[in-house]
Parts: sequence; structure tokens; C-alpha cells
Amino acid sequence: MNEISHLDHEALSELQEVMEDEFEILISTFLQDSSERIQHLHQALESEAADDFSKAAHSLKGSSINIGATVLGERCKVAENAGRAGQLSPDQVVAIEEEFTLVEAQLKAYLKHH
Amino acid sequence: MAITTERSNDGESLTIRIDGRFDFSSHQAFREAYENGDNAPLKYVVDMSETTYLDSSALGMLLLLRDYAGGDQANVRVANCNGDVRRILTISNFEQLFEIS
Amino acid sequence: MSVEPALTILIAEDNNSDRLILQTIVRKQGHRVITARDGMEAVEQFRLQRPQLVLLDVLMPRMDGMEAARHIKAMAGEELVPIIFLTSLSDAESLAECLAVGGDDFLSKPYNRVILQAKINAFNRMRDMHQTLQRQRDHIRERNRQLLHEHELARRVFDNIAHQGCLNADNIRHIISPMSIFNGDVLFASPKPSGGMHVFLGDFTGHGLPAAIGAMPAAEIFYGMTSKGFTIAEILREMNRKLQGILPKGLFCCGAMLDLNLHTGHVEVWNGGLPDGYLLRNNGQWEKLRSRHLPLGVLPPERFSAACERYEAAVGERVLFCSDGILESYNARGEMFGEERFTTIIESSDSAEQVFDRLAAAIDDFSGDVDSEDDLTLVEVTMAREELLDDLSRRLGSSVLTGPSSWRCHYALRDNTLAQFNPVPLLLHICMDVPGLRLFSGQIFTILTELFNNALDHGILQLPSSLKDSPRGFTRYYNEREKRLKTVVGHSVSITLDHQADGHSGGRLLITVEDSGRGFDYSAFDTVNLDHNQLAGRGIGLLQQLCHGLHWYGNGNRVEAEFRWALPTASSASIGSESKDE
Repeated sequence: MNEISHLDHEALSELQEVMEDEFEILISTFLQDSSERIQHLHQALESEAADDFSKAAHSLKGSSINIGATVLGERCKVAENAGRAGQLSPDQVVAIEEEFTLVEAQLKAYLKHH
Repeated sequence: MAITTERSNDGESLTIRIDGRFDFSSHQAFREAYENGDNAPLKYVVDMSETTYLDSSALGMLLLLRDYAGGDQANVRVANCNGDVRRILTISNFEQLFEIS
Repeated sequence: MSVEPALTILIAEDNNSDRLILQTIVRKQGHRVITARDGMEAVEQFRLQRPQLVLLDVLMPRMDGMEAARHIKAMAGEELVPIIFLTSLSDAESLAECLAVGGDDFLSKPYNRVILQAKINAFNRMRDMHQTLQRQRDHIRERNRQLLHEHELARRVFDNIAHQGCLNADNIRHIISPMSIFNGDVLFASPKPSGGMHVFLGDFTGHGLPAAIGAMPAAEIFYGMTSKGFTIAEILREMNRKLQGILPKGLFCCGAMLDLNLHTGHVEVWNGGLPDGYLLRNNGQWEKLRSRHLPLGVLPPERFSAACERYEAAVGERVLFCSDGILESYNARGEMFGEERFTTIIESSDSAEQVFDRLAAAIDDFSGDVDSEDDLTLVEVTMAREELLDDLSRRLGSSVLTGPSSWRCHYALRDNTLAQFNPVPLLLHICMDVPGLRLFSGQIFTILTELFNNALDHGILQLPSSLKDSPRGFTRYYNEREKRLKTVVGHSVSITLDHQADGHSGGRLLITVEDSGRGFDYSAFDTVNLDHNQLAGRGIGLLQQLCHGLHWYGNGNRVEAEFRWALPTASSASIGSESKDE
């Protein structure tokens, strides 16, 4: 498994440069917000609230792209579009969750090394 | 409105040609037409063959040229006037001050 | 890193990590940052802190970015507050909607600090430009308001000078725009002390202040000199001299002046640079009153000609003049009104009386809503009966009853001054300082003129009045007069005016004229049966009618005329008879 495909290191190091001391705060904020959004996705799926589903996916997509988690952003986009089309599926959430687990692990590793 | 000038070969005469409307908007260009140049010519010709309209400020500009060219001693000819232009010059009796043709 | 000045920037983004990134980037670029987590908070923060630039996420809880943008733009009003939408939206329709609600640009994720900085700087420059524009606009608006106000004041001053006359007389009709003075058109009318009236229509070159400036002295000269009895030629010469002196080269006044003599039924016309005027006859015929002269203010005094054309005109016949603004007014199709339309209306009218109204209507129809470039002035003066003026002079003369009431003045002319200078206007002017006497200016003018002419023509020049019996003799008389005037040496005429008030509403003016001539046999005038035909040459019949006493002394080279005046009471119908009945 190639790390680069899950995290854009170049983007990440640029962010680190900008954020300086706040880089760690940013990462932990991202991780915490993202788990909350994934919980939202689960709830929306259960209650079949397509609009909420799509909004949560959209929001997670935005922050993922900014943090350099490109694949996670892609998966969120799929979910966002599905939500808009009213075709919710547990598969979409599972895919996001799987990817997020990887991203989370790699971000933590990144923090350790840098 | 366009103003062009032409100096005769012997340098004695300056022809100022006015295309289109001759009114206050021509003020600056008309003045530059006769004020620029090193040696003052002996005579001036204002060529109106392509002039479509003349208002009272244009008459004033002609008076300024006449004054610049020597007042009562000035040699200024207003040439090729069409009907309307001619009419306005006649009403103002400018033939008393200019040679009009 | 940034050389641009610091701004206060509002960042509204519900996503904590995105907000954190953006806020850090912007702050590091030296700006002050305010944050909001949804649209409602954004609107509230905008209201409280008035940031200069707003970064707005599109999708936010409670109130989305588009709605917030609408509120913010509404609150910003005329101020330019650039809104940059933060978006990961990519479909064209959503992007277009962002712009439709007032967004100025987008910033897409992932945020790029270089692009963000470039955008902030670009919008800041735009904001600066917008502010400069608005400042200038406000400045111009304020200047313009001030200018209009000044124009309004200047117009009032001008009105006081220009409209002291008789433009409202029953025989004058005119169209002149209220702000005409700033378009260069002027119209003056004033009754003459000798009866009749002067009318002047002028069109100054140019617009605005330069045009208005020349109008002031023109009005003063016209009214001042007319009321003092100067002739149309003298007034024109003075106007030309004054305007030539004060107006810069290239500025002048096209004008026409009329001298309406109601008594003899003549009109004299001088036209310098105005379009043809028209004399409309009662029988439907008309004559053109052509411009024969250069405009006023062009020629130096010695080359100026005040030669007028003289026409007979019956009661009801009328003179029409217009400024070139009328002939040169354009309609919506870009056509000029032109002289032909003018003459067609004159020709197709059933009577001279109709022409003015039909012209006015045609001009109105023609230009429609098109704003006239030049000014439109049209005036019609009708030959009227003499009674018209009684009413006018009463209206003009009944001012305050202050001024000198008891005085004496002695004035003598010697040698060739006798040939060059007419003292009557000056003397009349002195008399007119007595307010009550102004009502009788016509009569006093006549008395002074007759007495002075008698002293000069008959007393000094020894011209026989019998010459004036035939039209041909008249010419000979004046030729002879010219000739003899050139050789006047060692002669003088002295005039003494003596005024004594009689209560507040009347008085006595004693005019004594003495000449150095040989005198004449006046014994005939003491006889009871006066032969008026015989006396006409010296105007003595007329003098006897106007004066309460007329006596000769010495060899007949000193004459004393007594003029008594009294103000009309409310019940008296006629001024003239009032003074005689005393």
C-alpha cells in the first residue's frame, strides 16, 4: 500500500509551513470533525435524510481536499452526489469510513515523523 | 470633426481644413493648427469644403485667428463655403472682416 | 510579505479545519480576521464590525452563503464590499448563482495562499478605485449643486437688472427659457422717455458664465441709457464699445434692437448677426429684417455702424425676431427646424396675429422631448396705440417718494462742444432723480429738447425754421445745420434747472436756457391769437401746451419754462391733465 495515494504529502508540508505551531491543532481538529461527520452520515442514512447526507458528505469533502486527503475527498464526492440523487447506500459510508481510518493512521504517523 | 493643416511649398500660406462640424469641441485643435509652426505664414486659408456646420463659437474662433494673424492687417480667407456655412457667415456679416469665397 | 495595507476580513466557514487554515493564511498576510461559523453569524458580524472584504462558504447551516451575501450586499449599500465565495462546488449553475446574488469571485479548495493573496490584493485595489470614484462623484455632485445654487442667485441678480423694463407690456409676446441667461440669450424692453419703446434681443457666443457676464453690462447700458433719453444709435454704440472692451476676443453678442415710435408709427431696426427678423403687415405681406452688421463687441468703436433701417408700421403690425437657437434646434430625427419652416408658418397664417402662437406651437411640437442645445428665444413686438405707454410709465415710475426735492443746477456748453455733445440725456438724468418727476420724463425730455434745439439751431446757428416747411427743405435744413455746426466758435448755451417741491406729491421745475445768439422778436408770442402753423418751426406751440409758463427775456435769447407736476390721485384717470388743472 502506497501512502502517497491516500495523503498528498506535498500539500501537507505546505500546510505545515503555513500553520506552524497550529499544525497539530489543525490535524486533531480535522480528525475530530471528520469522525463527527461520519457519525452524521450514519444517522442520515438510517433516517433516510438525503439532504443531510449530502451536506455532511460535502463538508467532509471540503476539509479532506484542504488537508490533502485526496482519495477521501473523492469518496465523499460520490456520497454527496448519491445523496443529491436520493440514492443512499451503506456502501458509500463504509467506503468513507475505511478510507478515513487509513488517513487517520497516516496523519498520526506524519505528525510523529515531522 | 477633424482639422488638418497644409503649408504651401513656398511657406507663405497655411491652409487649415475643417472636416465635419466646426463648433466649440474644435476649439483646442483649431488653435493648435495655427499656433504651431516656427515661421508665421503671410496668409491663412480656412478651407470649409468639408465643413458641415458652423456655430457661433466657431465664428469666435475665426475672430481669434484673425486677431492672431494681425487683426485688421490679417490676411485670412475663408474658402469653399457651402450653403449653410455661407448663410451663417452672411448673417453675422463676416464678409466685413474676412475674404469669403 | 504584503505591501498592501491591512484590511479587516470576515471569514465565514462552518468547517472548523477549513476555517482554521484560511484564518491562518489571511492573518499571516497581515490582515485582521473576524470569523463566523454560519451565515447568520456572518451577517451579524458584518453589521457589528463592517469588514472590508468577506470570504463566504456557500453551504453553511442556519443560513447559507448566498443568503448571507444578499444581506451583506444590502447592508453595504453604495460601498463596495467584495465577497469571495469559498467553494468546492463545481457545477456552472451553482457558480453562476453565487455571482447572481452579489458574489464577486470564487476560491476553490484546496486553498492556495498565493492565489488567495492575489485575489485579496486585486479586490482591495478595486475597492480603492471604487472609493475614489465615489469621493469624486460626491464631490462633483456637491460642486454641481453649489453651481446650480450660484446660477440661481446670479439669475436673480440678473433678473433684477434685466427685467426692470416692460417685457410684460401688452404689445410684447416672448418665449425665453428661465435659465436663458446661462445659454447666452437676453431680452430687454424699456419705454422711452419721449414715448415709444426700445427692445433688444441678444445672443451671446458660448454658454454658461462667459455668456452671462456680457449680459450684465449690456442690460445696464440698455436700461440706463433708454431711460435717460439716449437714442437707439447711441445705445448700440455704447453697448458695442463696452462689450468690445470687456469680452475676450472670440466672444461677442449677436443682437437686434428695435426703436418703436408709437407716436409717428415708425419702427427702426438694427440687426447685427441675428437671423432675419420679420415685419408682419396687416394685409398678410411681410418683410425680412436682415442682419446688416457684425455682432456687438467685434468692431472697435470707430468702425462700428449703428445705422438702422426705418419702417412705417400701422397699429397691429408686428416685428418678430428669434435667436439662432430656434432655427438650429433639432428634432429626434436630427433635422434642423430651419428658416423654411419659419417662413412657411408665416405664409400660411391667416393673420399676423396668429403667427406667434403658431410658431410657438410648431417649435414645441418639433423638438418634442429633445433637449435643445442652444437656447430658444422668440419675441414679437406689436405697433400699438400711444395710450399703451401711459399705463407703463405709471407702473415703472411710482416708486418711493424720496430723493432731492429742492435744488438748482447750472450747466453751460461752449464752442465746439455744442456740436459734439447732446446735453439732454444728462439733464434729464438729473431731473429723474426726483422720483415724482419720473412720471413726466417724456414731457420733460420734450421740453429740454425743444428748448436746447431752439437755442442752438435758431439762436446760435441762425437757421431759419421756415426751411422745414417742405420735405426737401428738411434735408437742406440739416445739411446747413451740419455745415454751420463745424464753425461754432465763441458761442455758448447755458441751462439752469431749478426744482422746488410742493408738499410731498408735487413740485415746480423751472428751466432757463440762455444762448449767446442774437435773439429773436418774441413779441408775437404774447398776442392772444397764436398762429400755430407759424410757430411750428420753433416747437413753441408744443412747449406752450406742456409748460405752465413760457417767457422770453432780453433779446429773446433767454427763455424760461415752468413745469408744474403733481402725482395722480387714486381717482384721477389721466396723469397729463392732472398737472394742468392746478
